[in-house]
Amino acid sequence: MFDFIEPIVFALLTLGIVSAGAAVVLINRITSAALLMAFTFLCVAGMFLLLGAETIALFQVLIYVGAITVLILYGVMFTPQQPRPYGLFFQKQTPAAAVFVAAIALPVLFFAFSFPDAKEPLARGGDLVPLATSLFGDFAFPFEVASVLLLAAMVGAIVLVKRDDDGSGVDQ
Amino acid sequence: MIPLGAYLTVSAALFFIGMAGVLMRRNAVVILMCVELMLNAANLALVAFSRRLGSVDQRGSVFVTFVFVIAAAEVAVGLAIVLSAYRNRPTVDVDELRAMKG
Repeated sequence: MFDFIEPIVFALLTLGIVSAGAAVVLINRITSAALLMAFTFLCVAGMFLLLGAETIALFQVLIYVGAITVLILYGVMFTPQQPRPYGLFFQKQTPAAAVFVAAIALPVLFFAFSFPDAKEPLARGGDLVPLATSLFGDFAFPFEVASVLLLAAMVGAIVLVKRDDDGSGVDQ
Repeated sequence: MIPLGAYLTVSAALFFIGMAGVLMRRNAVVILMCVELMLNAANLALVAFSRRLGSVDQRGSVFVTFVFVIAAAEVAVGLAIVLSAYRNRPTVDVDELRAMKG
């Protein structure tokens, strides 16, 4: 009865993803670009909900919309950004890059419709139980390695931004 | 039901928007944002394949959680590199950061 709602939601989410993503690339004010990036992540989380992957959508909102956007905004805050003239907006090799992207994008977009679809949708009931069964069963070792990677990245980021002057720092 | 190809098309469109941003913009922070967009497009394709073609255990979603971890680590280290480069030379313009260019 409400089958017409799903294509409408999909079309709205697609419009949000493509327009906000294009605006991230094309807009000149970097704070607006960061917030539009967060909006793109929210729309992708809506896509995950539409696919029935609720846990992944929750992770998306928590990690991307929460943590990564805040981190990017901190980066914007620490590097003073003045609006640039539009002539200095793109790099010097922009025409070659645009041709390169289009040459790869067009065959891929054509190829995307050639995948066979599933005969029947998966059973409802969320993806938390299968996700956790795989993550803590077969993928337990990569899960632990991922925690080591996060620790190494945290220590590396702290070491990279630590001031190495001999002034009033807390260097060892 | 939305066909699988529609999800893959949205994913490919978002991926190439991010790729165009990485290859075309000058600002290093915007390049980091566009890398995040590309990772998110890959996540969308993985979840679509996993939900539509996968078996019951849905390993594609497991890979998506690992992509989340790697994206968080990547943006932390990338911003640290941008900040330390900004401290050496006050610019975030990748066309001007050519100290290591031969």
